[in-house]
This record gives sequence, C-alpha cells and structure tokens, in this order.
Amino acid sequence: MGQILFTLFAFLTVIAAVGVVLNKNAVNAAMCFLLSLVGVAGLFVQLDAYLLAFVLLLVYAGAVVALFLFIIMLLDTQGGSPRRYSPVTIGASVAALALMLTGLGALLTRDRLVAPAIGSADGVGAALKPYAYQLFTTYLLPVQVMGFLLLVAMLGVIVLSRRLTNGEDSQ
Amino acid sequence: MDVTALQAIAANNDWMTIFPELLLGCVALALLVLEIVLPKRLHASLPGVALFGVLAILPSQVMSFWVGYIDGDSFNGLLHHSYEGQVMRVFFLLTAALVCLLGTITVARRKVAQTEFYHTVLIVTAAMMLLAQSNHFVMLFVALETVTVGFYILVSYFRGSARSLEAGLKYVIMGALSSAILLFGIVLLYGVAGNPSLPAHTTAAMNFDELAAFLSANPHHFLASVGIVLVLAGVAFKIGAFPFQIWVPDVYQGAPTPVTAFLAVGSKAAGFVVLLTLARTFAAYVWLTLPVLTVMAAATLLFGNLAALTQHNVKRLIGLSGVSHAGFLLLGVVSAATVPLGYGAVYFYLFAYLLASFAVFGVMAHVGGPDDADQELTHYAGLAKERPFLALVLAVGLGSLAGIPPLAGFMGKLFIFIATFRAGHYGLLAVAVIGVVISIYYYFGWIRAAFFADWNPAPAAPARPPVDLATRVVLGLLAAGTVALGFYQGPLGGWLSGR
Repeated sequence: MGQILFTLFAFLTVIAAVGVVLNKNAVNAAMCFLLSLVGVAGLFVQLDAYLLAFVLLLVYAGAVVALFLFIIMLLDTQGGSPRRYSPVTIGASVAALALMLTGLGALLTRDRLVAPAIGSADGVGAALKPYAYQLFTTYLLPVQVMGFLLLVAMLGVIVLSRRLTNGEDSQ
Repeated sequence: MDVTALQAIAANNDWMTIFPELLLGCVALALLVLEIVLPKRLHASLPGVALFGVLAILPSQVMSFWVGYIDGDSFNGLLHHSYEGQVMRVFFLLTAALVCLLGTITVARRKVAQTEFYHTVLIVTAAMMLLAQSNHFVMLFVALETVTVGFYILVSYFRGSARSLEAGLKYVIMGALSSAILLFGIVLLYGVAGNPSLPAHTTAAMNFDELAAFLSANPHHFLASVGIVLVLAGVAFKIGAFPFQIWVPDVYQGAPTPVTAFLAVGSKAAGFVVLLTLARTFAAYVWLTLPVLTVMAAATLLFGNLAALTQHNVKRLIGLSGVSHAGFLLLGVVSAATVPLGYGAVYFYLFAYLLASFAVFGVMAHVGGPDDADQELTHYAGLAKERPFLALVLAVGLGSLAGIPPLAGFMGKLFIFIATFRAGHYGLLAVAVIGVVISIYYYFGWIRAAFFADWNPAPAAPARPPVDLATRVVLGLLAAGTVALGFYQGPLGGWLSGR
C-alpha cells in the first residue's frame, strides 16, 4: 500500500512539475505548481511529517500560489509567442541538466544512507504540539521580533503605496 | 516535554537583559500612538520624542556594563552577552540618535509621512542591537531580516523621487538575493551537522557554540565548507565587500541622506559584528575563511578606491569610499584570526568612522538642495566663505576618513595596520597603503571644492539655509570628538580592548 501511494504521489509531483515548465498559460502553470505541491505534501504525510505537509499546503497553496495568481491577473499576461532562447537560458538549462544527471548518477552508484534509529530524531516536524512548545519557550524572542518585522513591513507598505497627495513633491 | 522542563526554559527568557531593545520598541510604538492621539499642531515635536527617547535609553545601556550578565547566555542560548556586544549596542544607539537628528533636517524638508520614518529607524536599531548579541542562526536571521526589511522602506522613503524608488527596488532585489544565499548556507551547515554518521553530530547546530564544536570535530568536510562560503557571501552583501558591492553606488545615491548615513555606518557595523562572530564560530575552518577574506579585503580596497576616484556626485563618492572602508575593516577581521588586537582595532575603526561619517553627512544634509539624490561636488563651491563652520566640520570629517594625522581616522587605520603587520599579512598591508594614497586624492578633491575657488563658475548651487544651534553643537561635538580621539585613545581604547 505504502509503495503504491509513494509511486502515485511521486508521479503526480513530477508530472505536475513538468507541466509548470511546459505550460504556455501562466495561470495553468501556477495551477500545475499547486498540484505538484500537493504531491510533495502527500510524500511528507507518508514520512509521518504531518505538520510539514500541513504547513506546506497552508503557506504555499494558501499564500504563495494565491499571490502568484494575483500578480498574473494584475499584469494580465497572455500566452504570447514563444521566445527565442538567449545564451543565458541555454547555459542555465545545461547547468540544470548536468546537476540532475549528477544527482541521478550519485543515486544509482552510491550506497544508501544509513537509516537513523527512529527514536533518535526529535519530532519537531511531526506534530503541532512539540513545535508550539518550542515556539513559545525556546524561540519566544524571535517570534516577538517577527511581530515587529511584520509591523514595520505593514507600515512601509502603507507609507510607500499611499496615493500621492497634491503637496508631495516629485521629481 | 513535561511542564517543569518547559518552565525551566521559560525562566531562561530573561527580558531584563534586552531592556534597552524593549525600551526602543516601546518608544517606536509610542510614536505611532502619539501621532493618532496628539492634535496636528503638536506633530512637529514627534521627531524630538524619538531623539530624546534614544538619548534617554543610552544611559540605561551604559549602565548595563555593570550589571552582572556580561559573558552569559540568555534566551536558551539565543543571545550571548559579550563585552563587544555591549559596546556595539552603545554604537547603534549613538547611530540612531544621529540618524534621527539628520532626519529632522532632510526628511522634514519633504512632504512625506514623518513619524513612520523615526518609527522604522528605532525598530531597525533595536534589531541591530539584537544582531550584535545573537548566538544562534534563528535569532541572527530574524534580526537581520528585520534590519533589511526596515531598510527596504527607508531607502525608498522619498517615493516621489524616481531615484529613491530605483534605489529601493535595487536594494530589495539584492537584499533578497543575499538573504537567500545566507539562508542556503545556514541550511547546508545545519544539514551537515545533523548527519548521524559524522562525529560530534548535533541536532542543535543553529547554536553557534554547538556548531563550532561540530566544525572542530570535522575540520575538512566539503559540504560544511560550501555552507561557510555561502554564509560569508551573504554577509559580504550586507557590508558591500567586493564582489558583492554592485548595489552600493546607486542605493547610496538614491536613498535619503539620513538613510545613506544609516546604511554606511549602522548597516556596515552590524555586518562586521556578525562577521566577527561568525569568524570565531568558523575558527576550525580558518584554512578556508582566511584566504577567502584576504582576497575579498584586497579586492574591496582596490575597487572602492579606484571607483571613487571618478565620482562627481558626493553620495556616490561616499558610498564607494565606504566600500574601501569595508576593505580596511576586513583587514582587521583577517588579522583578528591570529592577533587579538584585530578585534579592538575593528571596533575602534568603527567608532572613528561613526564620528567622521556623521560629521560629513551632517554637512551634506545642510548643503544638499531640494533634490536629495543630486548632490554634486560643484555644489560645495564657496562653502568656506559662506558657511565657514560647515566647511571646517567637513574638512575634519573628510580628513579623518582619509586618515590624516592626528585625526581619529588615522589612529583607526594605524591600529588596523599594526594588527595586520603583527599577523604577517605584508601583501595586504601594501595594498592597504596604496588604497590610503588613492583615497587622499578624492577626499582632498572634495575639500578643495569647498575651500578654494574654481576658475570656471560653478552652476547654481542650492541655497544654503542657516544652521540651527542644536545641529551646530552636535556637528561641533562630532568634529571635536574626531580630533580628540586622534590625540588620546585612553578611555575608549582601554574600554574597547576590554580585557
């Protein structure tokens, strides 16, 4: 059962990822990205990392992909004609291909990783409770600082994007 | 996790150790509340509230030198309260006070939101103070991001000006890139240190002490060295070291003058505190960090000085000369790996740089016209005749930046050179001396523009408003401090070398 589910989710992830690259329509590409993330979340669930799967869906699917869609709508991009490939694009593609081949080669030729004893890992990524304990005890100060970060960011957005008033000098 | 263990952890969250930061946060929030509550005619006093808030916090910070928590950890090892950290907290508070003062000159001249500027400056300062004490990658990254996000806003604060917006956009892109690089390095280090098949592996590798222990047990691990190089590259972006200095000229020119000063002094100092902490953490990889930092220092020195030679815009000039100052400071970091004097030299240099830079920026804020990004060398023509006081302060500040004896900048460079000499980096020393010679040329070009009449009539410079008494006193103090620190390093020198 586990093997079947793994294959299913792995194929979903890879096929959707290919769809992101090949789709000409930006909205469809964003949707394929979402599907790919669902696949990855499924893999996380199989690894008992429920919190990680949940956060991945919440942050990426809920926030990042929604943001992508907003920007696509704002820019109103059409499919457009296929662009010519610039030398930079080709170089980057070749480098990416080389990286992927290296990874595949390493996977095929090297020994497998030693599986650590199950009990040795502290399950911060597995459930919400230990994670929340950490957040509100050990990492309380960074959480508070994050609050100030968000406040400053929010104020900055208001200050910088407010409508220009008549008296404001511009050059 | 049982309740008692959690209680023990919670008890370690000693909020009194970050009392100055808490006060800064409170003053920043109070500014926003006051703007809502106070009637409109009293809004002009809000910058004063920020300024005096910072000045009132300074004594409480200085007092913390005698409170017993120095050389201890708090917040479960997130913060480490070292002597240097306390010195740098004073440094950042001084910077904040001077930036607020410059804000009352430059920002008040424009019709933009006023209170939010001071609010952001105070939050960024508090984050820098936390950065100077952080002993953990999570704390470091959160504090660094708070600083960076605050600067995104501050750099593009004059949103009516195309140059300010351009600078903001460039800073956002470069800042995001550098954060990504830094984060990648951190993740690599964390991942490697968690590998159960390596000796001394740890699940708490975000903590610098744990990481240092792991690194000294594995002194030649390939992935760890990649992580270290990436982390150093991320920090090099913040200090504007070669080859990560490309954002400096445009951002320094486009940002409002107080923000340029804040970037030049505060952000650079924060970067160097982080660099010194990390260099200590990565001590086991000195075979890697020393060559990387050495090459970086030499290239930064040469690039900054050569590029500054051809500049006519004073903000670009001060930005590129700031790159060369980063080179001198890197020299101190490199020598600090073997010679303890290097640490003291870096801190002394930072203080000398603070005094001289703010003297120059104070004059720039006064001479600069309505277009903040357009401040040319020719605008300084006849300054000595019209405003002799400003010209004198400018000459002292620039002389100190160039390293003319007997000013503080000279002593700073001398300490760095002595440390470099003792560490035996003679090649670097030669590059640095060449850098000093080049820098004298362009700094004196600026002084000449202010003191000596040019034969071709200068294009109309913006009108120079009279200098008010408070600014006069502060600029006078900065110049006097620069002169005094050149003659007598006693208290500060002893204070910085600490132990």
